Amino acid sequence: MDLVTRCQAGDVDAFETLYRQHASRIYTLACRMAGSAEDGEDLLQEIFLQAYRKLGGFKGDSAIGTWLYRLAVNHCLDYVRSRQAKMNKLTETLDAESSFEPTARRETPIARLDLERAVERLPEGCREAFVLHDVEGFDHKEVADLLGIAEGTSKSQVFKARMKLRGYLRGK
Amino acid sequence: MHPNEDLLNAFADESIDPSDRADVERHLASCASCRQTVADLREVLRAAGALALHEPPVRAWSRIERAIRLEAESRQSTQNPQNSESKTSLRVLRVPRALRSTSWRAWLAAAAALVLATVVGLRYAPPRGSDDTRANAPAADTQIAASDSAQSVEAELREAEAHYENAIKGLEQIANAEKNELDPRTAATLQKNLAVIDQAIGESRAAMRSQPSSEPAQQSLIENFKTKIRLLQDTVALINEMRKGNEAGAARIVSGLKDKGD
Repeated sequence: MDLVTRCQAGDVDAFETLYRQHASRIYTLACRMAGSAEDGEDLLQEIFLQAYRKLGGFKGDSAIGTWLYRLAVNHCLDYVRSRQAKMNKLTETLDAESSFEPTARRETPIARLDLERAVERLPEGCREAFVLHDVEGFDHKEVADLLGIAEGTSKSQVFKARMKLRGYLRGK
Repeated sequence: MHPNEDLLNAFADESIDPSDRADVERHLASCASCRQTVADLREVLRAAGALALHEPPVRAWSRIERAIRLEAESRQSTQNPQNSESKTSLRVLRVPRALRSTSWRAWLAAAAALVLATVVGLRYAPPRGSDDTRANAPAADTQIAASDSAQSVEAELREAEAHYENAIKGLEQIANAEKNELDPRTAATLQKNLAVIDQAIGESRAAMRSQPSSEPAQQSLIENFKTKIRLLQDTVALINEMRKGNEAGAARIVSGLKDKGD
């Protein structure tokens, strides 16, 4: 019996194997989409719980990883769209804008942690577009479909995010 | 005239319309500022494409597994509507998000829910003397409702503090009752980490005594509570893994605990 079939039969050990195979990618996506590791952890748990519930409906039309990833993207997007998230983020964004201390003028390649930290501080809207396009590799049409926005809006949000990141990382 | 930012972005990621490319290239040849902008944007793109994956915390799987088992229980108990405990326990997964909010009310709700998390922990790792902690759950809900009428930030902070302490107490009960499951070196690492956190909590409290309305001091206290709760949750997860005989799972948690101690 293959892994997916065992998961569909309710085998928790098999589901743990599935989790170990895909948790890093989904957790990373969730952290970046949500803008924090703590929210990312909550989302990771919710995504895998949802996956466990929905696995019965998985027909094998795509690889299980693709199915799981798409479910994760949609769940993250539901989260960032929710009113509660927007209200919380409004406060946090204001806090972050006022407390963010840019690094010194950069002369060397961008350090990974600097960029991670700067991405977390991007405003909602342009952060998700940036993560989906420049990090996850979706094209603008796909980003537009996922976010429910026009393709031109996806481009302008991604461009806005890059300019903001440039500003953060150059200490402007 | 400089090209606008959209054109520079499109040039940087090679998505520029061919009809615009020549104009931008001509401009870049004579404009150091725009050349720098394009170079920076390309550096952002390169770094974004090279970002590494993050490993989720070791406790994440334990929580998912616990929730799956609770959900299975909950499904079984739908034929018995009087058994509502499992349904209540499922709320635990959603609550920690509120911990990040700067709202006292959200902290209060999150702290109260951690008491419920403790109850869930007790259901799967029943320690001796767990009844007292279980009894805290309905009280916590009552106090959340009461908090709606709380007027002052200080009063809400005090309430939040009480709930965090309650959650910590419950988790400590589990950890202490089952600490013999841990090998002495791991137990010592835990003790060392807890001592560091307790000292930080003490310092935050001292800062708050001298400046009760200081927001950094308040933030610091809550952050330290959260750190302690996470450590205790990891401890409970570790105990559960050891009980299950899952050496790999336990090793992952121990490794995380050691990292925190370094």
